[in-house]
Amino acid sequence: MAERSFAKEVEDLRIGEGEVFRGEGILAVTKALLQSGVSYVGGYQGAPISHLMDVLSDAQDILGELGVHFEASASEAAAAAMLAASVNYPLRGAVTWKSTVGTNVASDALSQLASSGVTGGALVILGEDYGEGSSIMQERSHAFAMKSQMWLLDPRPNLSSIVNAVEKGFELSEASNTPVFLELRIRACHVYGSFVAKNNARPAFGLKNAMENPTRDYGRIVLPPSNFAHEIEKIDRRRPAAIDFIKKHRLNEFLGGSKGDFGIIVQGGLYNTLNRAMELLGLSDAFGETDIPIYCLNVAYPLIDDEVKGFCLDKKAVLLVEEGQPDYIEQAVNSILRNADIQTKVVGKEVLPLAGEYTSGVIRDGLASFLEKHAPHLAPTAKPANVAAQSEVASIVPQRPAGFCTGCPERPVFSAMKQVEKEIGKFHVSCDIGCHLFSILPPFDIGNTTMGYGLGWAGASAFGADASQRTVSMMGDGGFWHNGLTSGVGNAVFNKNDNVLIIIDNGYSAATGGQDILSSRAVNRTKSTNNPIAKAVKGVGVEWVEEVHTYDIARMKRVLKEAMTTAAKGPKIIVAQAECMLNKQRREKPLRDNAIREGKRVVRARYGVDPDTCTGDHSCIRLSGCPSLTIRDNPDPLRDDPVAYVNNDCVGCGVCGENAHAAILCPSFYRAELIYNPGGLDQFMARMRATIISFLQRRADRRRAKLSFGDA
Amino acid sequence: MSVRPIKIAVMALGGQGGGVLADWIVKAGERAGYIAQSTSVPGVAQRTGATIYYVELFPRSEAEKQGKEPVLALMPAPGDVDILLAAEMMEAGRALTRGFLSSQTTLIASAHRIYAIGEKIAMSDGRQDTDAVRREVDAAVGRAVWFDMEKTAEDAGAVISAVMLGALAGSGASPIAREIFEEEIRAGGRAVERNLKGFSFGFDAAAAGAPPASARQSKAPPAIGVGAARAVKPLVDRLASMPEAVRSVAYQGLKKVVDHQDARYGALYLDRLERFLRIDAARNGADLHRLSSAVAKYLALAMAYDDVVRVADQKTRRSRFARFREDVRAPDDQIVRVWEFMHPRPEEICDMLPSAMARPLLASRQARGFLSIMLGGGRRVATTNVSGFLMLNAIASLRFMRRASSRYQSEQARIDDWLALIEKSAGADYAFACEIAALQRLIKGYGDTHARGLSNYGRIIAALDQMKQADDPAKALRRVRDAAMSDENGDALQAALMKIGGSEMAAA
Repeated sequence: MAERSFAKEVEDLRIGEGEVFRGEGILAVTKALLQSGVSYVGGYQGAPISHLMDVLSDAQDILGELGVHFEASASEAAAAAMLAASVNYPLRGAVTWKSTVGTNVASDALSQLASSGVTGGALVILGEDYGEGSSIMQERSHAFAMKSQMWLLDPRPNLSSIVNAVEKGFELSEASNTPVFLELRIRACHVYGSFVAKNNARPAFGLKNAMENPTRDYGRIVLPPSNFAHEIEKIDRRRPAAIDFIKKHRLNEFLGGSKGDFGIIVQGGLYNTLNRAMELLGLSDAFGETDIPIYCLNVAYPLIDDEVKGFCLDKKAVLLVEEGQPDYIEQAVNSILRNADIQTKVVGKEVLPLAGEYTSGVIRDGLASFLEKHAPHLAPTAKPANVAAQSEVASIVPQRPAGFCTGCPERPVFSAMKQVEKEIGKFHVSCDIGCHLFSILPPFDIGNTTMGYGLGWAGASAFGADASQRTVSMMGDGGFWHNGLTSGVGNAVFNKNDNVLIIIDNGYSAATGGQDILSSRAVNRTKSTNNPIAKAVKGVGVEWVEEVHTYDIARMKRVLKEAMTTAAKGPKIIVAQAECMLNKQRREKPLRDNAIREGKRVVRARYGVDPDTCTGDHSCIRLSGCPSLTIRDNPDPLRDDPVAYVNNDCVGCGVCGENAHAAILCPSFYRAELIYNPGGLDQFMARMRATIISFLQRRADRRRAKLSFGDA
Repeated sequence: MSVRPIKIAVMALGGQGGGVLADWIVKAGERAGYIAQSTSVPGVAQRTGATIYYVELFPRSEAEKQGKEPVLALMPAPGDVDILLAAEMMEAGRALTRGFLSSQTTLIASAHRIYAIGEKIAMSDGRQDTDAVRREVDAAVGRAVWFDMEKTAEDAGAVISAVMLGALAGSGASPIAREIFEEEIRAGGRAVERNLKGFSFGFDAAAAGAPPASARQSKAPPAIGVGAARAVKPLVDRLASMPEAVRSVAYQGLKKVVDHQDARYGALYLDRLERFLRIDAARNGADLHRLSSAVAKYLALAMAYDDVVRVADQKTRRSRFARFREDVRAPDDQIVRVWEFMHPRPEEICDMLPSAMARPLLASRQARGFLSIMLGGGRRVATTNVSGFLMLNAIASLRFMRRASSRYQSEQARIDDWLALIEKSAGADYAFACEIAALQRLIKGYGDTHARGLSNYGRIIAALDQMKQADDPAKALRRVRDAAMSDENGDALQAALMKIGGSEMAAA
């Protein structure tokens, strides 16, 4: 079950014609899919579209009522391949993933699909993870649309426009027999707003109809000679059909004024940011009322030559607001105008940055530069004050990268690795994608490269030399099932790899929001779980496999050292197991609170540090980095350094104590057990202990009183 | 001028509930007649990273009057934020560096700190200075409301976002009425009573205009020796003749040393210290008493070294029992059981034996092995159980034989050498002598940590003669000491020492 439950919100998916739907962008997309009569939905979770998968997962009852099949696909490739259902049959299907990484994974199937062409509408919803908050390489999905001849929708970031793009996207796909991308930036995925809903539609032709009445068309298979015919079909038939549809249904918008010798062309997804920048320069208002003509590209690919020419014809210059690089749209617009011999100057990356997110500040500054040159009467008289302080504060404010949560079971794995490195020397560490990648940050600083989800072990496959030190690769359970079982484990077995893989088995695809996977321990009504990783790796031929509870740092150290130094040849796998703490707390805390309220005996553990014995060296923090293990002023007036301190967020995972033991750190840590609703025996023992202990403490106090300075 | 939306940004760390706060503001805004839009970039930044939540509120009546939908932005623009809520002090600083704070901004910020990992992992004190942040942030905004919202939340048993919502309402910066916010907390249905209490505390603090945190209370100097016991009275009296600048440190030091052992040990402390007071008395200069102040402090720390007796003593004190209850937030009537993580090594046990016994034991592999097996690696000692307490109590009572222990002998020898070095250097280079005194800062901790510190100390002491050749020996020594405290592996220290050696060679 995912980190966030949408059980309440999904009820809103039932609302009908004319009612106002309120919610997140991604929830609106779900509603739009149902309104469009979709037959099947798949995808792979990952920010910023994780919530879409979570919503669909929580909405299975509603999907069932409408005859919609939902799959949490094994990977983006699996999701993309799912769209094959729309090749032969008039079935509408949608899949979703994080882009560009997910599109990379999916691109084999997407190329096949785009070549075959589709009969039913096929929509790929891309969560474009670009700019602030992104966790991946900064690339554009735009290129995929161009190379495969798929259409790319980039609607204005308000719920009505997004919903309209979903509905029109299916129609466009069907009108041009082409799969369509719908690109949503991070903030658009999470934007809260409202739109007027329609009724959900049950598809007239359903999956059942297709399965019971299969049809075949050799011409849709990507194999000679059809593959050659497909390419010609894309250019001769599908693309013109798409252009006709886009023009006819006015998917692109002409906003703002209609006169003047300059204008602005903007990607739909950036329109709101552009309008805010214009407001800041006094050129527009809160309703987007402006005299400046704006051509808003809700379809980012293909460009509609006639519309571009028509917009530019009477203008001396246009500002092109296109985020990211390369500047595909700018190149294309220039090419269209050049071919038509139109002399309008296209100003894009000349005044706007070549790389990086286009925030309202960035667009405001670019627009101001553009106006200075091409419409000086509208240019701001004073340069907008740059309020960003060039002060010493910038050097004081600390970086706060994401990190392991309080009590995270992955932390002790890296604590153990750090300690083993001290014993046997440094080793090469090939990382993977997932929470465990936080190991590359302080305090662990462990990791060399990351080549993609599930590719941790493959990323170290070159290291096959006969060396005195083995390499360690990391993989999460999410990446393992995504493709690591074959690309990593199978690959290592086949190529007689002699190195070590640590698989973090925390029971969820944790980094993407705690979705269930094959090896999850949870019982899931609609999915098959409880398929152990150890069984899978043994099944493909790994002989050296150890399962270790991550919090047992001493054993983890022993096993890792053994794997690194054993004479046994062949791939070695350590499955490091413990449930994701975020999910565990979410599950157990309410139960515990309830039990306490009901008067049941509950023991809650947590940790602490004695400030009298802590000397402020912070070794413990360097081995852990737990958010709840922090520092506070040293109560000893003679000591300069702050002491370690366990704050009240501690969940009692025990890593502090294990580390103090395993690394022989210091005796300052203690484990405290708080007993709620104690029983009779508890109370009797507590009284007895208190009596004896306090007798001895009083005696010690009396001795100390003889040495008292009178003030303490 | 046309109507513009109210722009509200929330800067928080993942896990602080910034999303909940943004949600409350959105729902309250809708209830109060606004069209609300909010966005965030949660993703993996959610895992403890810094995140921004952004809300815009536009009056519905205005939209209806115009018959149009407003175009609302998805991110705050520099210089165009009306209300900025920061859930931690440095996040307010981050808002400043991103240009979100301007004269149009009402800042509502919690004055507490959540230390970043870079600040926490330092081997000494890595905390950033917050005064500059406060000063510049205050200068940038139209109005600032600061108080420790974390503490307020804890007092109320609420989440910090409830306190921040209350502060937003209490500041008067938003046009939404208090009751509407409170209705939203009720509608949320989670920990309603506590969060309403947190809201109310936050409201009152913001409405009253909380006192600036910069007006921190300074600690009152301790009254010296009023009501001192007979055994320590003569020691306290010896403090009276000390110059004011040294007296209070010496008093703290004396207390620490006496607490460590006994009054006689305190007398030894004062004897040692007085040698340096005499040096200071004989000279006159700008930094009068700097050396004796430094020695008063570091000598006490050196003499009150951390051995098993001290640890056992600290762990069994009544005051410690009260403190751990407070630290784990246990109500008065709750049963709390406590386990210590002890990892005594052969070294620590031999420390307590007379050197004549300790040395051969440590030298013998078999004996060490036997001891290691007997100690059995890590041990959990239940201090709140009678057996565990008795054990620690027994160890603490070994104080009577401490003077005979090998550790005592070696510590005193080291201290004497160190003091002699300081004394010897003081005549030639006073500042250098002060820095030698401060080297004690390197020696702290237990086990490996202590061994590392001691070894670094030894390496620096061995290089002192080289450092004297530098242009500014005190500065050179301070740099080497900082290097020793800057990384655990000793690479920085190695490099710093090489540089000293190198510059000497270059000079030669």
